[in-house]
Amino acid sequence: WLPSTWAVPAGPCSVPAGSWVPSLAPQDILYRGILRRKLRAGKSGAALDFTRQLGHFFVDHPEDAFGSLGQLLHKNFYLGNSKLRRQARDSTIRMTALMEEIDRLEARRGCPRQYLTSRLRWFSHLCRDWLFEVPLGLLADCVHEELLLQWASLLFDDSPTGGALAWLPPEDVGARTGRLVYPGGQAMNHLYFQDVVLEELPRARGSPAQFELNGRIRQVAAARADGEDFVGIRSDYHCGVWRVPGRTGAAPTPLQVIRTSVPASCLTVSPHLPGELAVCTQSGTVYLWSVETGLQRLRHDPQTMFFRDHSPWRWSDFTAHPRVLSCADRTGLQCLDARAPERCHFDLFKVGEEASCQQGERVVLPMYLGKAHPSQHLVTTQFSVYVLDERLPLVPVLKWAHMMKAPPLFAHLTPGGPGRSHKVLLGASRTQELLLLQYRGERQGGSQSACQLVGPPQKLHNIAGCLQHLPTQLPHRHRLLQQRLGAPAAGLAAALHEDGPRESLLVFQLSEAGDVFCQRLTHEAAQPPPPTVGDEAEPRASPQPTLAVPSPAAALRYRRWLKALPKVCRERPRHAWPPTLSQKRLFTRKELEPPAVPSTLHRQARQRLRQAMREGGCIQHWDPPASQPPALPQPPESPGGPDPLSARLTASWSGDWGQWWEERMSFNVAQRQRALRERRRRQKRARGRRSLSASFTSSLTYQSELSELSDAAPPPLSPGPPSVLPREGSPLGGSPPASPLPDEALLSSQSLRCRGIPKERRKTLRDYLAVWAEGPPESPEPPGSQASQLCIPSSQSQLSSA
Amino acid sequence: SSREHKLNFKKSKEVCLNYIQDAMLQKQWKRAAEFLTFYIESLEKDFSTEYMGPSEMIWRIGTEILCHHSHSSMKEFNSFIEQMKTLGVKRYLKVCLEHAFHLLCNGLVDEAYQNLSLAESWRFGEQTVIQDKEMKLIQAYRGLLDYYSWSKQKNVLLEHGHDGFEDLSVEQEMHSCFRKAAVNLKEIIKIPGVWDLFVKCYVDLLEFYGDHNEARQVLNEYAYNSKFPANPNAHVYLYQFLKRHGESKKSLISALKILHDIVPSHELMIDFNTMLQKSKKRKKRRLGLEVIFAALDYAGWKENVKAWNCLARQVKQIVISEKHLDWIKQEWNSRKDWWPAFHFSRYLAKRNWQENESLSYEKALVAGILLGKDCKYFKYISHQGCKAQVKRFRILKKFVNKHNPVYLRISS
Repeated sequence: WLPSTWAVPAGPCSVPAGSWVPSLAPQDILYRGILRRKLRAGKSGAALDFTRQLGHFFVDHPEDAFGSLGQLLHKNFYLGNSKLRRQARDSTIRMTALMEEIDRLEARRGCPRQYLTSRLRWFSHLCRDWLFEVPLGLLADCVHEELLLQWASLLFDDSPTGGALAWLPPEDVGARTGRLVYPGGQAMNHLYFQDVVLEELPRARGSPAQFELNGRIRQVAAARADGEDFVGIRSDYHCGVWRVPGRTGAAPTPLQVIRTSVPASCLTVSPHLPGELAVCTQSGTVYLWSVETGLQRLRHDPQTMFFRDHSPWRWSDFTAHPRVLSCADRTGLQCLDARAPERCHFDLFKVGEEASCQQGERVVLPMYLGKAHPSQHLVTTQFSVYVLDERLPLVPVLKWAHMMKAPPLFAHLTPGGPGRSHKVLLGASRTQELLLLQYRGERQGGSQSACQLVGPPQKLHNIAGCLQHLPTQLPHRHRLLQQRLGAPAAGLAAALHEDGPRESLLVFQLSEAGDVFCQRLTHEAAQPPPPTVGDEAEPRASPQPTLAVPSPAAALRYRRWLKALPKVCRERPRHAWPPTLSQKRLFTRKELEPPAVPSTLHRQARQRLRQAMREGGCIQHWDPPASQPPALPQPPESPGGPDPLSARLTASWSGDWGQWWEERMSFNVAQRQRALRERRRRQKRARGRRSLSASFTSSLTYQSELSELSDAAPPPLSPGPPSVLPREGSPLGGSPPASPLPDEALLSSQSLRCRGIPKERRKTLRDYLAVWAEGPPESPEPPGSQASQLCIPSSQSQLSSA
Repeated sequence: SSREHKLNFKKSKEVCLNYIQDAMLQKQWKRAAEFLTFYIESLEKDFSTEYMGPSEMIWRIGTEILCHHSHSSMKEFNSFIEQMKTLGVKRYLKVCLEHAFHLLCNGLVDEAYQNLSLAESWRFGEQTVIQDKEMKLIQAYRGLLDYYSWSKQKNVLLEHGHDGFEDLSVEQEMHSCFRKAAVNLKEIIKIPGVWDLFVKCYVDLLEFYGDHNEARQVLNEYAYNSKFPANPNAHVYLYQFLKRHGESKKSLISALKILHDIVPSHELMIDFNTMLQKSKKRKKRRLGLEVIFAALDYAGWKENVKAWNCLARQVKQIVISEKHLDWIKQEWNSRKDWWPAFHFSRYLAKRNWQENESLSYEKALVAGILLGKDCKYFKYISHQGCKAQVKRFRILKKFVNKHNPVYLRISS
């Protein structure tokens, strides 16, 4: 025998399909940051970021999470800025500060210095038991379970098994117009029937017939029976069947839809009888679905057939006998007679000794090879490919280890004529691998020859490989393009095109973004020894494979596709930029308003910032203003009587500090306020002659004390806690502070206060500025991870509907 | 850091393997060979507990590359395989067997024979079960080669025998070949498995020397021993043997009956049906109808004129005799919901008429009787046939019209 050789150039099949929502990526649900690094060092496997998902749920679905208690409590929570009136204070608390803190947390998401404030911690401890609509433990269990499911499907997603791309060949062998059936749209819920003319490059003719469906299309299966094509569409909870008349131009008609309560895992169309399909659900049920007579349940068994395996995946296909169906799970295949499914069945394939399977080997995709030989079946596992014969079950007639990196979820058979080899294409989803193997089986009625592979298997180009044929792009566009072309494959189809003596195989590949790509394999009559491209050339040192260069027409197609791409996905996801810290929530506009009379330091800082921005540099330190050192603060006016610190020190020196404290606490609050106001009035009068250093006066700290009191914070009861007092009081009595470092001057609470920035934001701002002052910030997250935030809502909508 | 070193080593090993695989799948054999020479380093630290270790990889990949590489020669191939044999003791026999296959594919029968003999005399430590099995296989294949030279000599002798010329030495050699072949073949077919080739050769040997009883026993054992996988070929061989030796109809029928039970779609079912149809016993004729109906259930038989002819003939017989219409009725009952769409649609009528007139004739007869004269298939074919002025179609139309009441009785 002589192997036939096929040469390969590749190209896009039509215009890009529009914007898409990339599916879940590992970084979306895994811990990021320090914790991840720690966990990775501990080698404890994948760490799912469960709290983040829970948080997203609370933010995105507040009604579901806190609805009724929110309604009950909304009268008792006050969110305004003004003070509460006395009567209202009995039943209402002011939550403004808490809300501001939450806002700040939100603004600082991704900031390495993020930490929880005690107020928030306190509140969450307090309300953990009663605030949530769904008990927190229960909700957490559900979220965790869902996360585990999502993670499992990330490791291996079997939902696209079978592929969502089908080619309906023209009815007459000579005709050139066939039809491609594929899903599209952002949610992959639009079904397209596109006429395609097979030429040098396949060309779409006219606009496609389009149907909007009620869910993401997972699988498109098609078969021709009685001169008409029947197309079965599987989404998670719905399966539908369309009829496409054989003559070109005839419109496809939807025939029937069924709904399943458990996700369907398989839909195959009978090649024998029109309008018959096989449906499997994840509950282990197999149905024969006839458009005329409805559903017939053939089997219901949640357990796997030959040994225990946890996978709920089931598959079913047709066999040489129109009433006998094959049923598969991960452990093997059985054939059942639909007329007596309980009694009449036999084992077709078993993962085990008969097929000399490896440990851990599981069935990935079975396929009926009826077009090549009426009694042969293909079974792929993650390691090997088997060809089985119904007549001699269990012992494979052909076995080959495919060595693909991901399990082959798609397969396509192109039968060869008499004396020719059959061509089987295998496709993987995540890695987009595409493999062509040719085998020759027993000819029907002819001489008996063993089933054997013809020639070495061949790797075909994948979609991601197109990138090198596209013109050079700007880096960010290149990255987008890379992401788009690297989307997992979603389907596979092939069309045999005979143009006189020249024969070629057109291989279509669908990506999850909805793009269809196509490559043409031309048949070269093999001569012994087969001439191989690149063999004559001098030995290559680099490991780059020799590239098939696309023809000029294909190159034009590439360019056109690239040009159309930005148009169809104009609404760029907003998350493509590196993380930025928003200052919107840090300050209100009023707070950011420059003071009426800008100070020198202010002006200087401004100037330095401008300069740094011009140079694109980064401000490492705020140097002291060179010319004029800050004026020394004037000693405060001595108030009447000793200041509290001196009093306290004296008291503690003499040993009756406890008594001093008691006295101080029993000091009437109203009295104190009055005294403080008095003092403030005095200071206001004196402010005119003060420079910036005036902010060091103690009176202002008292004002903050005042506001704390009015905030209804619990007054300290024991002598332990009031550590604030000595600190805040210290500048008063002690020697005037040495000139503070200017950067601290800018950041010190007094200088911030002077700008009217409230106390609780001062710390935030200090931290915020400290991050930038410390040096270059931590390198931003890898850009790929940014897509993450896009997908989370989708997973959550699943969650909430569950 | 030794762990890290190990990890790096493992990683680069994997990368190298990926490159090799990539090159091979793109038919760049030269590049693959280059990478393979690097990959051989991985043998140095082969602690793998994986299903397929590097030494096995190297053997498999190397063989594949040498098979396709434009500059490789048989000599190179042999020396590579010799190295591989010493590389893994556990795999020695497997490598030997595949080497022999490769030699055979290149027409080097004697070398292959030598190789197998050498492998047979190889001993290493305690024999495991797997080794034992592989050894049996090697012996069996050597037996097969003995059989091959036996049949060559047999042919020589038979040719020369006509000339009245006899060569004792050739005859002696032939007998010694027979003995060697018979011993080894007999051994392997005792083990449960699919041994079609060995069984056929062994039976041929036995038959030549007139040991029919032994041959029959072997075939019976192969077909009926429940430890063996259900193998339709075993029954076919038995049937062919019985037929060759002029066995009674009864035993032939019983052999085919079992074949029918295992594989209702076997080609021999036509023979079976004709045999049964000729029988005088009612029960057998009934079985014949069952057999042909069952065969036509299968997609592979849809366009088999012979089978349709068998069915048409038998149905016609029954209708004319008006006896046993209930047979048809019973068979039809389980099929009437799907045969019309499967066999007798208008689309198929058109196609059958265009592609194969006699097929459409036979099918139209069956359709006319089973579905009545108003059935789409019959109507279309008889119309076309009459239009084309083919006599047998006119007769067909008359026949169906005359026997239309039968349809009513069947479908009631």
